[in-house]
Amino acid sequence: MSSTAILSQSQLIWQRFQKNKSAKIATFFLIFLISLGIFADFLSPYKPTIDGADKDYINGAPQLPKFWDENGFSIRPFLYTTERTRSIETNFRWVETVNREERRYVQFFVKGWEYNFLGITMDRHLFGIDQGQIHIFGTDGSGKDIFSRTLKAIYISLAVGVLGLAIKLCMSLMVGGLAGYFGGWVDSILSAFTDAVRTIPPIPLFMALAAFIPDHWSAEMRFFYIATIIGMVDFPTLSRRLRTHLLSERNQEYVLAAKLSGTSTFKIIYKHLLPSFTSYIIVDTLINFPYMILAETSLSFIGLGLQDPVNSIGVMLQNATKSDVLLNYQWYYIPTIFFIALVMAFVYVGDGIRDAADPYKVQK
Amino acid sequence: MKTIYQFIAVRFGLSIITLLLISFIVFSLMELVPGNCAERYLSFKQSSGQNITYQDIAAEEKRLGLDRPFLIRYSTWVVNAFQGDFGQSCIMRVDISTLLIPKFGISLGICLVALILAYSLAIPFGIISATTKNQTLDSSLKFFSYLGLAMPNFMVALMVMLFSTIYFGDTLTGLFSPEFQGAPWSMAKFLNFLSHAWLPIFILGWAATALALQTVKALVIDENKKLYVTAAKARGVTGRRLLLNYPTRHALSPLINSIGFDLNRIFNDLPIVAIILAITDAGSLLLQALVRSNDQQLAGAIIFLMTATIIFINFVTDIVLSIIDPRTRRGMLNQR
Repeated sequence: MSSTAILSQSQLIWQRFQKNKSAKIATFFLIFLISLGIFADFLSPYKPTIDGADKDYINGAPQLPKFWDENGFSIRPFLYTTERTRSIETNFRWVETVNREERRYVQFFVKGWEYNFLGITMDRHLFGIDQGQIHIFGTDGSGKDIFSRTLKAIYISLAVGVLGLAIKLCMSLMVGGLAGYFGGWVDSILSAFTDAVRTIPPIPLFMALAAFIPDHWSAEMRFFYIATIIGMVDFPTLSRRLRTHLLSERNQEYVLAAKLSGTSTFKIIYKHLLPSFTSYIIVDTLINFPYMILAETSLSFIGLGLQDPVNSIGVMLQNATKSDVLLNYQWYYIPTIFFIALVMAFVYVGDGIRDAADPYKVQK
Repeated sequence: MKTIYQFIAVRFGLSIITLLLISFIVFSLMELVPGNCAERYLSFKQSSGQNITYQDIAAEEKRLGLDRPFLIRYSTWVVNAFQGDFGQSCIMRVDISTLLIPKFGISLGICLVALILAYSLAIPFGIISATTKNQTLDSSLKFFSYLGLAMPNFMVALMVMLFSTIYFGDTLTGLFSPEFQGAPWSMAKFLNFLSHAWLPIFILGWAATALALQTVKALVIDENKKLYVTAAKARGVTGRRLLLNYPTRHALSPLINSIGFDLNRIFNDLPIVAIILAITDAGSLLLQALVRSNDQQLAGAIIFLMTATIIFINFVTDIVLSIIDPRTRRGMLNQR
């Protein structure tokens, strides 16, 4: 009996999704990267803001822990002791002298700066080092640890995406819902407006909107404002689909029945019409998520988006175009690898879910 | 069935309405920027040592017509904008059209070449990816096109700069060699331009290719399932002849419709790529106008011109499509 059990819609989708190998691999990547973002504070050894900067290791190269050298093997990874000097002999550039005899060992679950996780104040961090600091991705121009900043940036990007998405959903449901339910002239006006917004290239539009931000706003206010405009400008596609769907659904008998029994307009839209559209909304949301993150990154990169101390990949790359950085400090670019992996994982997973959710898809 | 002339007339009317709506949105945005042109110009003068009073600001506002109601200013702006006159830049005090048109021409040139590049890559590779039985080829094409979607263009530009500095010792930025900077257009200058412009064209084109490739693939797969293809197969048509004469021919006409959308995408990336590669075109001018000087007149004019170009392309592609495929006429009119 169990072999012929009837599968629910979601079980069918799950079955098809599991057959898609690349989407499955991407899902693991995605979960890994998202947890990096969520547990950023615990995983990063130092504070990603200027408070956590290492004044003695400015523009420092990545320090990769070693397990063995000519002096023997060690289970616990270690770094060498280094000393940085600059004087007239070195032409006033920082020069590092490595003392290979003295090892500094990496420690785990060390006490560090305090942070707040789910309302609990904690001060344990995954790893640290005996004396001094460890920077596995190097440091930037003010000594901030690039590894810690990368993790925090993933978190911020996800937060912008989620917030923007929520706003986009509200906006699309409102505009598309009204246009589709009422039809007629309401639809004509709202659709003309939607089409007009869709024609304007979004990044120039974001730029124009972001240029209003007064200088005295705090970094957190900027964060909310940027997420809001990204969500608001992105509404047309979903809103249009919703409208088309509602226009065809609203003449169905069950809507008429609800109307006749005196149900209010909004209740009909949200109780009866929307549920028929939920799966599409979920898929669209997943597919569009990376583009929200991309928009934020581009804006921050040109200096119109987020600003220090709220940091994102865009903020981190602001200084990376300088020829000094290009020639001497290439580790500034390490965060981009994580970022590209994050977006790619989202694209693959979204794609896999879309294919799995489409019942008419023929396996090629 | 509507005649083609009726269709063109209606479609033209719709384009004008959209353009008017957009001009209204753009103008309102310009108005929302804190501070107006008069204040900005006079504060600039004040910083160079002149004493400015409130009367001066009021007088300047009157001279610029900023004391008139919003709707009147909007209608003047629109009427002038349709004639190609965008007034004066707030800060630079030069005529926007003379400043902008040559730079916008360069931008448009770069974008259109990028678009052509994108389609000439996307069509063959999209067809290959839709029909190949080679799983590795298909998934690597998919990977590259997703990478094009996932990498923000400025990252591609940064990466190219990073590698070119490490390996060639040159950042490959700018549009002209120094000796051609102010020179009038000539064959030599044009060749010099091409030798610099391939990089932005490549970067802008890559992202657009990724998207167009997915569209081509989806269209070809859709057509491949249809009965007339099966019928052709049954008649014994095979191989390349089957592919090119049956599904591909029909799959590619809807593609014309996506040109406007792809141009939108390319315009989208233009300002940021321009700023990284130090290209002096309309894109970097927009960024300058918004970030450095808050020059709302100039910024509004650039966004308006970009959008007007997209609307124009959409208009042309719709007309072309309706000539190739008359079935689309009714759908396009009813849809709006």
